[in-house]
Amino acid sequence: MHELSIVEALIEQVDRELHRAGQTGRVVELNLAVGRLSGVHSGSLRFAFELLSPGSVVEGAQMNIAEPKAACRCRDCGHTEPIDELVAQCPKCGSDHVVIEGGRELTLDSIELEPDGP
Amino acid sequence: MKIVAAKKLLKANDQLAAENRGRLSAAGVLCVNIVGSPGAGKTTLLEGLFSVLGGQARPAVIEGDIAGAIDAERMERLGVPVVQINTDGACHLDASMVAAALADLDLQGIDLLFIENVGNLVCTAGFDLGEQVRIVVLSTVEGDDKAVKYPAIFQGSDAMIITKCDLLGHTNFDPARITADYLRLAPEGRVFQVSALVGEGTPAVAEWLLGAH
Repeated sequence: MHELSIVEALIEQVDRELHRAGQTGRVVELNLAVGRLSGVHSGSLRFAFELLSPGSVVEGAQMNIAEPKAACRCRDCGHTEPIDELVAQCPKCGSDHVVIEGGRELTLDSIELEPDGP
Repeated sequence: MKIVAAKKLLKANDQLAAENRGRLSAAGVLCVNIVGSPGAGKTTLLEGLFSVLGGQARPAVIEGDIAGAIDAERMERLGVPVVQINTDGACHLDASMVAAALADLDLQGIDLLFIENVGNLVCTAGFDLGEQVRIVVLSTVEGDDKAVKYPAIFQGSDAMIITKCDLLGHTNFDPARITADYLRLAPEGRVFQVSALVGEGTPAVAEWLLGAH
């Protein structure tokens, strides 16, 4: 359950970003990227968010989680392709000289605040 | 209104880790983060390495466990300086815990600092501790499919040490299969086969670490 530590870090990060931007409005949406190979489970992240968000700056906010895929890069033909699961051969030329890259993203991309009143 | 943040979620941890790394490098210490499942043989590997290292380097250990000091006591018996971190339930070490532990070590008197992380192939992957070298320990009895099943921990690591190789004949573990899977995730990674209890393979690991120092 390292997702709890990650949500703690998320809330601190949002707090800092609001402070930096001089904003006090209510947070309505958070946009995160959690790579498929990051070892972080989106469901557990949502569960931890439900536990930790009440009373914080992100209380009531909706959490949108993008899940970028890893890519397979062939060291022989240079072909790169996003993959759903770990592959052992290049999907294009069949070489087994492939490297699995990316998919480890764990970022807070943006914060959506409530629009100003009329 | 939208605020574009584009920040790593574990930025605070990464910053602390960078500070740890700076402190360790300045003191001439090579720091090695050892990750692996409970029972993979991390502590036994360390015991084996210390007996091989002899007087060639001055080691110290930070032991990370959810509870207890069993591993720290094993290190103390070997006369190796050790600091125990109990995470009280947390499934991984983080850079702040390591920063606190560093305060209890005399860095000037250390060449190699081993951090034995909490036994866990998942949660330890995301937390940089400030190490220069990350080693994944995998035992033959855990199975040769682990790189595919737990890619995050293997991806970008510096070495995979296959332990309990004296049991190879009693398992269906295929070192060639795990090595091929591993090198797809860590193309620069080193692979070692070790039987720490019988002292095989540990000299090669020690030599590699001494070369990296």
